[in-house]
Order: sequence, then structure tokens, then C-alpha cells
Amino acid sequence: MQSPAKPLSRPTRMSRRGLLQQMGAGFGGLALAALLADECPAAGTNPLAVRAPHFAPRAKRVIMLYMFGGPSHIDSFDPKPILTRDSGKPLPFDAPRVVSFPQKMGNLVGSPFQFQRHGESGAWVSDQFPYLASVVDDLTIIRSMHCSNPRHGGAVLEWHTGSDTFIRPSMGSWITYGLGSENQNLPGYITICQALSQGGVNNYASAFLPAAYQGTPLGHGEIEAKDAKIPFIGEGMARARKQRLELDMLRQMGERQLETVGPDSELEGRIASFELAFRMQAEAPEAQDLSSESEATHRLYGLDDPATENFGRQCLLARRFSERGVRFVQCNSNGWDHHKKLKENMTKRCRSIDKPIAGLIRDLKARGLLDETLVVWGGEFGRTPTVEGADGRDHNPHGFTMWLAGGGVKPGLTYGRTDDYGYYAVENKVHFHDLHATILYLLGLGHEKLTYRYAGRDFRLTDIHGEVVHGILA
Amino acid sequence: MLGYCARVVVGGLLPFLFPLPSVVAQSQPAGSKADPEALEFFEKRVRPILANRCYPCHGPDTGQGQAGLRLDSLSGMLQGGRSGPAVVPGKPRKSLFILAVNHDTFVQMPPKTKLPRAEVRVLTEWVRAGALWPDAEAPVVQRSARSGDPVEFTEEEKSFWAFQPVVDPEVPEVENGRWAQNPLDRFVLSQLEARALSPAPAADPRTLIRRATIDLHGLPPTPEEETAFLADDSTDAFGRVVERLLASPRYGERWGRHWLDVARYADSNGMDDNLTYADAWRYRDYVIAAFNKDTPYDQFVREQLAGDLLTTWADEERAESLVATGFLMIGPKMLAEDDPVKQQMDFVDEQLDTTGRAFMGLTMGCARCHDHKFDPLRMADYYSLAGIFKSTTTMVSYRVDSKWNATALDSRDRDERLSKLEQELDEHDDVLVNGNMEQMSAEEREGHEKSLEAVKEEYAAIPKAMAVTEGNVEDLPIFLRGNHLTPGKLVRRGFPQVLAAGVQKPVSDTQSGRLELAGWLTSPEHPLTARVMANRIWKWHFGEGVVRSPDNFGRLGERPDNQPLLDWLAVRFVASGWSVKAMHRLIMRSSTYQMSTMAHPLALEIDPENRLLWRRDRRRMEAEVIRDSLLAVSGQLDLTMGGTLLPQRNFVNLSGKGKARDPALYDSKRRSVYLPVLRSALYEVFQSFDFPEPAVTSGQRSSTTVASQALFMMNSRLVAEASERLAGELASHTGWDDEQRIAQAYERVLLRPPSAKETQEWLDFLAEYNRVQPGESEEAHSQHQFAWQGLCRVLLSSNEFVYVE
Repeated sequence: MQSPAKPLSRPTRMSRRGLLQQMGAGFGGLALAALLADECPAAGTNPLAVRAPHFAPRAKRVIMLYMFGGPSHIDSFDPKPILTRDSGKPLPFDAPRVVSFPQKMGNLVGSPFQFQRHGESGAWVSDQFPYLASVVDDLTIIRSMHCSNPRHGGAVLEWHTGSDTFIRPSMGSWITYGLGSENQNLPGYITICQALSQGGVNNYASAFLPAAYQGTPLGHGEIEAKDAKIPFIGEGMARARKQRLELDMLRQMGERQLETVGPDSELEGRIASFELAFRMQAEAPEAQDLSSESEATHRLYGLDDPATENFGRQCLLARRFSERGVRFVQCNSNGWDHHKKLKENMTKRCRSIDKPIAGLIRDLKARGLLDETLVVWGGEFGRTPTVEGADGRDHNPHGFTMWLAGGGVKPGLTYGRTDDYGYYAVENKVHFHDLHATILYLLGLGHEKLTYRYAGRDFRLTDIHGEVVHGILA
Repeated sequence: MLGYCARVVVGGLLPFLFPLPSVVAQSQPAGSKADPEALEFFEKRVRPILANRCYPCHGPDTGQGQAGLRLDSLSGMLQGGRSGPAVVPGKPRKSLFILAVNHDTFVQMPPKTKLPRAEVRVLTEWVRAGALWPDAEAPVVQRSARSGDPVEFTEEEKSFWAFQPVVDPEVPEVENGRWAQNPLDRFVLSQLEARALSPAPAADPRTLIRRATIDLHGLPPTPEEETAFLADDSTDAFGRVVERLLASPRYGERWGRHWLDVARYADSNGMDDNLTYADAWRYRDYVIAAFNKDTPYDQFVREQLAGDLLTTWADEERAESLVATGFLMIGPKMLAEDDPVKQQMDFVDEQLDTTGRAFMGLTMGCARCHDHKFDPLRMADYYSLAGIFKSTTTMVSYRVDSKWNATALDSRDRDERLSKLEQELDEHDDVLVNGNMEQMSAEEREGHEKSLEAVKEEYAAIPKAMAVTEGNVEDLPIFLRGNHLTPGKLVRRGFPQVLAAGVQKPVSDTQSGRLELAGWLTSPEHPLTARVMANRIWKWHFGEGVVRSPDNFGRLGERPDNQPLLDWLAVRFVASGWSVKAMHRLIMRSSTYQMSTMAHPLALEIDPENRLLWRRDRRRMEAEVIRDSLLAVSGQLDLTMGGTLLPQRNFVNLSGKGKARDPALYDSKRRSVYLPVLRSALYEVFQSFDFPEPAVTSGQRSSTTVASQALFMMNSRLVAEASERLAGELASHTGWDDEQRIAQAYERVLLRPPSAKETQEWLDFLAEYNRVQPGESEEAHSQHQFAWQGLCRVLLSSNEFVYVE
């Protein structure tokens, strides 16, 4: 188990010999034309070509709903009546060895929100999520999450990359590296409006994996979803016709050069990449154009309400990208770091995501996509049961909630437990590494098998950690 | 497999005060058997918990126990497992066992379920009361091997090729001696002849001057330079080109950038908070100047590791030496770390690992938590090197949002003032970042903010370098499993034993040991330093090194494809006085360098990867070369050298508010090497064309081909502007007809005339382009100009332009 699993071969480089064997020795303009006509050109050179999983997958793709800042579990999905009862009393046990803001740590404080059971599963949901409560039977709620770092910087990186200390490839990059992309006309890994702080690009970058696996950002945390676009996409049909003329000339130049210099997989790959880009340019604006969606769909995602419009747009985009075969889409809701005015701020944030997410789940289900799409909700940590300052809660990596829905997880399940106050996960604990292993597992990838050799070592998303959480599998 | 996978990452504020096992054993209170109440407490409360919860993995039936830890006797607990002692009697907060059952951030037992609070209280109470264990005769468990225990080197380890001294190899005999321009060619040719292969024909002059110019300058030659070379029929025409190229400052900008890949250069910290390194540019300029001056490589290494120790205030070149140590400073730093010891050890690790890879091609960082799995590098080696960096001052303080060290460049007085400012800056900043703002009065807070602002202003005005200085000199213990909470045996500062045994002299008691480290690395006898750099130089010329893993010469790295060649180069390198320019002359004035890329079916069959060097490999321009070439051929390139384009002062957080994504940062027409390199927010042009991750040493860039690069060529402002400028320039020659303009465009971009067929195709293209209806944003009368821009864009996007033959 300690010995490194056999690494996948590098998909970006292909030996000339391999290419010749595949294409036949007389490779030239004719073969190139055939190659360009193919949906997945030159499987050996295209790093995003579809790759078979290690075993039968339960899900084909992931939509990550990332709540940046660390949403409070005890005010959302993990009710604590004893905490409410003891509100105002001191914490009855030692605080953790490491607390972010020890000087501001106060006594216990109960949730300002009311909880109720919902659905057939009877899962508990706070009154801030009326829409989510209506789809709770589709959720698998893990109340025993924990991670290793009490600071945003470390915890955000640890969630996205598995490491809170070093620069490592992001989860989406690993997944795209493992499986390729099902749509060659769109990026394989997209993140919408992701924050630039706390690691920024590192959270969706490919680090030492080839650049083809890095997340393609649509905008960033400081701009609205409606303004977030795939970079370098041209505009206008007149321009497209001219571009076609240009590309025809470019291809002609390229083919002529190949006739002189002989076969070269890289040169051929580059010519093909322009054709891909041209098709991407045709498809991307269509994929990002929400005007073709019905009025009812717009309402379902809350696009008709300024409070929910921004995240609703992200969720609807996520569905559109997912149904077009994008492997990993991340939607980002920023502003969950409630050190102050928890009640007021949390109310606003919950409202902004509640209807859009419920809409997404209903919509995926109605379209038959939920079974093969894994939806993951959560942030980098939860929050303390003790008050911070007057009316906030501090970071808590020791116990918090995330939930999953769709591809391969047990719907209506509430898994794991925190202590009576919600400070520590105490039962069926699930570390980020474990959830990473589980997400890979659901996609048909063994977390110990998905490795990449770099600087003399086989790296994995889960490093030397991680166990698949079999208890939540359907 | 569960067990203590003690993470490197350790939070917390505990000093590392675990006594050694022998000391612990003595501290067990005598007469523990006498206290019946304590006995009962143990039997009724403690032992059942241990038996129920711990024995399954650490009990009588588990052999040595998981992770070498047995919890069924006091001796087992005191001796501990791979992570060191589990219990310190009387000190629950210093006992790993208690940290583990409390589910501390770095160690959690039992792993998936936390014990009920009542049980945790019982165990804590028991340890606090002295960990009384009634069974005094408990069998002593044989201590299992612990990380850091000494291990002998095997013969196989000692005889690994890279650790053997470099021996000047005999120049081989070859059949086709006429092909060889210098001995280097004979090393290549003898391998080819052994496989009955012959080298590709020489490249044509146009290809050669383009290759050499892009190679040494990162820019294509001008048509005038090409013409001059073609017209020079002296025997040493190419040699003269090489000399001209080496004498130009463009050379240092190109080759300095190669080194900056290795030095993981960046202008920002790039971890949790992305703080500006507003003085990093001085290190970048130092590197460029060092290549231009052909600073001997041994001196270059010494300056980067110990420049501060090589100079005094009287020295005219003091500034340069100080700035050079920026090499140790500019790495990424996780500043949001609550544990100051761990924070410092992480920085030490980063410096140590970078130093190991950059100069020796050794992945030293792998030996932080355990002996290296593949190379004969032990934890003791790691901590003996780590002691050197731990004894070096990198930071003003170690805390959340700590600040790094700087040294004033102009005078001792200014430097003293700077140190005071650093202290003040650190104090105010600490209060504002980590203090309790809510309990602070508004005046108090404003006071800190104002003082901080004033200090920062004065600080910014002092010319200074990000530079290390000597710190508190100390040896380090081995941190078992990389965890500073579990120190093991103390190790003397020094160098890896597999290389240094026999030559290791004692490291100074009063200095960190960086000077000795630099001296040892640059001794001509060091088996790795010259080989690693000679290989890098070869790699940057040819695209692949003789060893194809330039940053890893260890067992998991590649073996040299032609070791005599590598050793011959290494010997020449040292003999030339470590002159990098001498290496360029040697390499470029060889038939091997001057071959064409022409394919040969038999050679392709036998050696598809071209490890034998039967031809030159075609290479795509790197990110910076693409940008600089676009600017150059369109007449926009600004050749101003040096200085910074980063508008921010030091310590400005670029996260949030889109500051790091401000396109204005990259508006300049200066060479790419001068653009800011912001970690975690790289310039998108760099990022899409495989600019290396600036967090780690990178002697090898990947070269991918993805659609986003094509989109960049088709739609980016950079390419649009270059096309526009070039088309405008062509149009400005009113005396030219279209055919002449096409010919000029080809000459400018591709350095060759178009064929008659190509000219005709372009004339057809222009006509057809003009027939397309103008778009909404386009004015009809500029149609003609758009068509020319289209033509230019195609040439600039073509493989012929973007690839180097």
C-alpha cells in the first residue's frame, strides 16, 4: 500500500514512433484532413481526450458549489439543542490547541435560527433554507467533516488541492487528467467567479500537471456572473467568417510546411488546435447564453430576483456546461466568513444560494442528469459554537457539514456526528482527504492509482492519506 | 492501513520539550505501586479504555503495534512508536497520546471516531497524575525502528553514477572524423555510429541564424542581421554571429530568465495572502547582469547562498552580493500559520529543497519526514542541512502575517535604521492583524494604523534587498516524522553524508554554515554541481538535457543518455573557470548544434525520442519568446532594461479587489522578463503558454498544445495589436504594390521570401476578405486594412513563426 501505484503515462507527449504506428508512415495532408474531421483528434497528442476510468464509475462529472469563507454548520444543517440550552455558558471542555483568534473567543452561543425535520428522510435543515429543505431527500449530508488547518489560506488550499502547505494540482485538474473531457469544444474544467484571494489561481491550477488540466476561470470573485466569460472568445459572425478565411490560410501554410519537414505530431496537433478553438468559439457563447432557457427555468433558479440572480446564473451555467460534457464545474459563493453579525450576514448569504441550488437539483433530476452528476456543497471549514466578539463565530476545522447529491451517493442520508456542541466531529469522521478519495471513487478513479510522477515522486490528490467513505455510497 | 500518519503540518504553540526516553523513564515517580486509590483508578477507569479503544491496533496481539507503538505497558508508551514517545508523565498537553485522543489537528486517535469526553478526561487525568501503571514488571517492548535512526549506505547506493567523481573521459575515435568540428561532436557521433546511424545534414544558414538568435536572445533576428550573415562568406561567419549575440545585453535577459525558472522567481508571495515582494526585482536584475557579465558560475552559486558573508560595507560590489541572496528569500511562504516553529521550519524546508534541486539535482525535501525512499539521503542529512538554514535569518518574525527580512544597500547607518523600521512595522502590523481589534479603542487603532503607514513610507524610501542575514546559530534535532513536536537526536550542521563523507570539515560554531555549504558545492571535486549546470545549459540549447530530468539526478531521475559527453562538458565547464559563455561557444560551434531537424525513417524507428541526437528537435517558442517576438517583429518592443513594473509597495496584499488581475500590470512593451510574476495570479498569456509554476524550481518547462492557445492567437489584444502595427507599417510604404507588401511581410515575420504560389494565394485571400460584409463594429472603409491585418495575424500564428527549427 505504501508503494507508489504505477503512474499513467504522460498524455501530452507522444513519441514519433507511436504517432507513426498509429497514423501509418505515409502521414501527410490526407491523414491530417482525416484527423481534423475526427471529433477527438490525435488521441495520443490531445491531453483532453476521454480516458477510461479505473473501474465502473457511478458519476461522470462533478458540480462543486463552493461556499468561500466557511459556512456555519450549527446554523445550517447540524442543530444543537444542548448548545442552545447552554448558550452563554463557558465551553465545558478545553478549546483546541490552535484557535485562530483566541483573544476574541467568548462563551457558547446557540443558533439564532430554528430547525425542523424535512422530507421523508426527516433530515434537519435550518429555516434559512426553505427551498433546499424541499429537496432534502436528494441530499447526503455529512455532519462529521474535518480538515487540518484553521486558517482560510491553508484550509481553502487543502480542500481544493489536498495540501495546505505546498502548491499541488487542484482536484478538478486531477479529475480532468484522469478522465479527459467529454466535450472537446469546451474546457474540461471550469470555475465561475472564483475568488482571487486565499491561494487564488492555485485553487484551480494544475501545478505540475500539464497546463491543459488547469481550470478555466470565468471571471473572478470580484465580478458578477453575468459578466464572467470564457477568455479569448471572439465576437460576431462577420468576424467568424473572416476568421475562417484566416484559419484556412493558416492550415494551408501548416500543411505545406509538413510536406517539407515530414511528420511531426506537435505541428499537426497545433494545426488541429486552431480548428478546435474555432469550434469552441462557436459553442462557448451558445453554452453561456441563458436567453434560450425558458421563463420557468429562469424562475426556478431565481434569475428573476436580484437576491438570487448572481448565484442562480452560476448554477444554471453549471447545468448547461454539465450537460455539454464539461467534467468539473465549480460555482462560487463568496462571503461566508462570519466573524461578525452572523445572523444578519448568514441570512443574506443563505437566501442568495437557497433557491438557485434547489433549482439546480430539481432541474438536473428532471433532465435525468442527477444520477450521473455529483453535486458537492460546502466550504473550507465550519464555525465555532463559541461566540467571537459580540455576534460572530470563529473558524472551526474540527467539525462541520458538507453535503453531496446525485451520482452514486445515498440520498436522504445524514452521516456522521459532531459532539453536543458542534465543536468536534466525533463519529464516522470524514477528512477532506477521505472526501477527495470518495469523489474520485464515484468517478471510477482509485485515489491511490491516480498518480503523476513529478520531481522523482508519484504524487496523488490524497498524498499518503484518504479512505473512501463507503457509508455514504448508494 | 491506519496508524499515525503524522502530518508534516502541525498547528500549535507547544515548545518542543519532549525529554528523551531515558530521561522520561527516570521521571516515573517511585513507589507508584503504593497508592491504592491510584491503582483502582487505573484498573477501573483507565485500563478498560485502553483495552477497548487502543489495544486493537496497539495491544498485545499486534506485534510491534501500528506505527511501532504499543499501548499495553508504560514502557511501550514511554518509548513510543515511529513518532516518538507517546506519554510524558505529568504533562498531558505535551503527550502525543493525549493530543491524539483530543483529535488535535495533526494527530487523531482513534482515527474515525472521537472518544467520549468522559474518557478523554479520564486519560488526561491519568497522565496528569503521573501515568501510574501498577505492573512494574511489565515486559519491555523492543523499541521499533524510528524515523531518523542511522542506516548504513549500501554498496549500490554508494556506487550510483551521479555520486561518482567526474572523470575527464577519453575522446572517442570516430569513422567520420570530418563531421566533428570539436571533440563534443565525437562523443555524439560515436554513439550514432555504434547504432549505424548518421547525423542529419547541417541546417541552412537562415535556419541557423534564427535558431541561434532565438536561442541566445529569445528574439528572432532582424532581416538585416539575416542578410549580413548570409553575405558573410568567411569561414567563421557563424562564430562571429555567436560572439555578437553573446555580447548583447539581450543575452542576459534570455539566459537570466532560464535561471529564474530554477530560482522559482516571483514578485509576490502567492500563498494564502498574496503579498508583493516589491524588492524581488533586484534579484532578477542581478541574475540578468550576472549572465551578461559571465560571472563565473561558482561565484554565482556562492553569492546566492552566502553573498552577505562574502562582503563588507567597504566593498564596492556589496549591493550585488546582498541582492544575490534573494535566491533564498523569494520562495512562496505560508504566512497564515499559527505555529511559529512550524512556520519557520516550512520556510527552511522551502530553501533547503530549492537549494538541493537547483544546484545538485537532489530532492532533499523528501527526507523531511522519513529517509528518502529512493536516494541515499537520510533524515540526518536533511536536518544537518536544515540547521544551516534555521541558523539563517529570513524573516523579521514568525507569526500569522509575518514579514520578511531586508538589508539596506547604501550604508550601515541606513541599514540600522531599516532594522528599527522593520521592528516597528512588525509590531504595529502584529497588533492590527492578530490583536483584538474590538477591545481596542478607535484612537488606539488609528494610532497603530498611522504609525504603520508612516513606518511603511520611510521603509519604502530606503533602497534595499530581500536578503538573508546570519541568525542564531544552532544545530537541530531530527524531527521524527517531520514533526517539530517530536524531536529526536540532535545532528550537527553539515552536508549529505553520501556525498560529503570524508570531505566534510566541521561547520563553524559562530556562523550558519552557508559559506561552507557554498564552498563545498563549488569545489571542483563536487560530483554534482558542474554536471547539473552543464546539463542545464545543454538542455536550454537542445530542449532536452543529456540527463532528461534536469532537477533530479537521483534514482528516480533519468540516467544520462551519454555520460561521457556530460562528464566531458562538466570538466570543460570547470576548466573554463565556470564560464557559461565558454559553454555556449563550445556547444554552438559544434556540428551537433548545427544539424537540421530533418527526419530519417531508420533513425526514427531506432531512436524516436532522439536520445542519440541524430538530429535537432523542433521546439515551440516559450511564452516570453512568443510575446517578445510579436512585439519585436511589429516594431513595438521597448528595450529598456531593469527596474520594476510593479506599482505596489512591499507587503501589499494582491488578493481580492482584482489587483493581481489588473491588465494594466502587463500593458508595458518591455521584454517579458521585466513583467511582474505574480504567484497564484500569473499573467494569462504566460499561463496559457506553459510558463512554469513559480512556486518551485523548474529546469524543464512543458510544452502543451491546447485550444486556448489558439484562441489567444485568434482573439487576444496582443496579437491583434501586433497584426495592426505590422499591417500599418506595410501600408505606410505607399510606393509598394501588394506583392511587394506580401514579400516584406514574409521577410519580417518568417525571414524568407514567399513562393509565387504563396503570393497568389495571399492575393486571393485579400480579395475574398474584402468581400465579407463588415461587422457592426467595423467601418467599411477600413476593410482593406483589416484584410492586411488578417494576413499578418496568420503569419504571426503560423507554426513556421512559432516553432524554432
